[in-house]
Amino acid sequence: MPAKYHIHVRQVPPRFSPLAKSTIIDWAEGCLRCATCVKEQCPVDAYRKRGFDRSQFVDTIDEMCRDCYRCVQGCPRELIFKAANPQYRQMGDAYWTPEILATTWYQAETGKIPVSGAGYGGPFAGPGFDSFWTDMSEIVRPTRDGIHGREYISTSVDLGRKPMFLTFDSNGELTWPSPPLLELPLPIILAEPPFAASPGGMQDIIIQAAGNLETLAILSRNRLGPVPEETAARLMPSYTAGSLDLDDPLLSQLRTLEILDHPEVLEQIEAVKRRYPKLIVSLKVPADGKVVERVAELTAAGAEVIHIFASEQARGLGDSQDLHLKDLIRRCHLRLVEDRLRDTVTLLVSGGLALAEHVAKAIICGADAVIVDLPLLLALECRLCRSCAKGGKCPVEIETLTVKRGAQRVINLIGAWNNQLLEIMGAMGMREVRRLRGEVGRAMFIEDLEKEIFAPLFANREVETIKREPN
Amino acid sequence: MSMEVVIYACQQAVPDPEALRALWSAGEVRLRVLPEPCSSKVEVFQLLRTLGAPVDLVWVIGCEEQLCRFNEGSHRAGGRMAHTKKYLQEIGLEPARVGRSLVTPGDESALAAIVSEISGRLKSLGPSPLRRAPNAGAQAAAT
Repeated sequence: MPAKYHIHVRQVPPRFSPLAKSTIIDWAEGCLRCATCVKEQCPVDAYRKRGFDRSQFVDTIDEMCRDCYRCVQGCPRELIFKAANPQYRQMGDAYWTPEILATTWYQAETGKIPVSGAGYGGPFAGPGFDSFWTDMSEIVRPTRDGIHGREYISTSVDLGRKPMFLTFDSNGELTWPSPPLLELPLPIILAEPPFAASPGGMQDIIIQAAGNLETLAILSRNRLGPVPEETAARLMPSYTAGSLDLDDPLLSQLRTLEILDHPEVLEQIEAVKRRYPKLIVSLKVPADGKVVERVAELTAAGAEVIHIFASEQARGLGDSQDLHLKDLIRRCHLRLVEDRLRDTVTLLVSGGLALAEHVAKAIICGADAVIVDLPLLLALECRLCRSCAKGGKCPVEIETLTVKRGAQRVINLIGAWNNQLLEIMGAMGMREVRRLRGEVGRAMFIEDLEKEIFAPLFANREVETIKREPN
Repeated sequence: MSMEVVIYACQQAVPDPEALRALWSAGEVRLRVLPEPCSSKVEVFQLLRTLGAPVDLVWVIGCEEQLCRFNEGSHRAGGRMAHTKKYLQEIGLEPARVGRSLVTPGDESALAAIVSEISGRLKSLGPSPLRRAPNAGAQAAAT
């Protein structure tokens, strides 16, 4: 049995106080000077330990407070309050919510799965990835417990073209060389975020983290500096339509690369494969209105890997903005199933993958693996203020972060995500992430439930009400 | 020498901090607007340490006292401001380096007047003396 894949997480404290969800308002004026002040009874001793963060101009008491409300309830003059912190609420945007940012920071710091421990208080269902649930019916089987179970759950995936059949000569040898295939131990590929305070530093962090995680780093070739040979194996440089030069010395060191889709892309791939037959070429296709047709066309033409990219908010691009990434993945997957070509090609997806559950859900919808970009920036304590994109100063000084520290935070985040994937698969009774692909039978979609379960229930209730009314 | 202004703004008085930032046009001077649940969230030690960061001017924007959502919050913030000014005077720093304005929530013209008042105040005061003596700034921040 091969060695169990394990991600080594290590605590990396934040350099800047993370903004707390709520804040303490302390009205000291009018204090009765009780013999034992409620502030002295704080279980985490926050009132004594509180300080002042000079870089963010915030009182550090909120960072320590555990919301037990002991001080709020105990003060006889009611001089202490808790209120929602407006600085926390203003972080991120409608999609990349403050909760997503805070949970990403926690995972990047600890490498642990975030657990609220107080039940789920959110809505029953929501848009996008929140519109379906994974089936946890096997959660009671202890041997298949995700992280600690005796049964090994594999998170390995393959990148490359898989032949539908093999032919052998009279000596039992393959009549044609098998296409190159790359195995990754986890279905997550790291990619450069669309913006960062220090793009060069960000690239170094991603390369180091990808090396440690044994996955790939997708980086723009234009911005990539000289690459050491040992690093090249972990790289998947991204080329725009006209930027690929076959004489680029980097190509001979690579195992895979990515080209943005364009009308002559198939001819370009042919030229690349003629010169570098062992290279796996991924095609980056926009998730627009033509994506399903284009994916089918490219697969039929022999594409090895296709990367479907959506918007930062997991929406389609161009005329598909109304569609969520999950629906676009499902359509592409089902079209390839219809064409009986699904197993030949590897589908990668990116855009708006913000939480660990999105990885499992994207795979359930039909992706083989996912590409993560913005969460890597969030792992470095980014507040998503987008000041760097406008040429402004980074409030958390990402440009001064060391590569080692940054890479460990990224490793921690992916370690926590991988553990959550193991937990989800363990609870679903799955032993291999390859088998999770397109496995919608292990998921419940709200639209199906509404149609099949709730609609008949509520329709019957309506009839009953009508029946009762005349009495 | 670039200067810095920090504004602690009650979220009721300044519901849109971006609008306040947009009013600011003093090129070289860095402005930071920090939304707070109430102006009474800002304590004396916070004002002093902000000055000791060092920052050249610290301003608190709150609601008119009778409009405060916390009833007494704005009134208490006024008391803290007076205390801070007195303390600054005692230690030999200009009390004018901290200031406070009260506005009716949503009154944009009042915000424009505050920005102009802050710019004028900063112009007359110039850079903080703590900038000229960095160690003194660190000591002041540690108090």
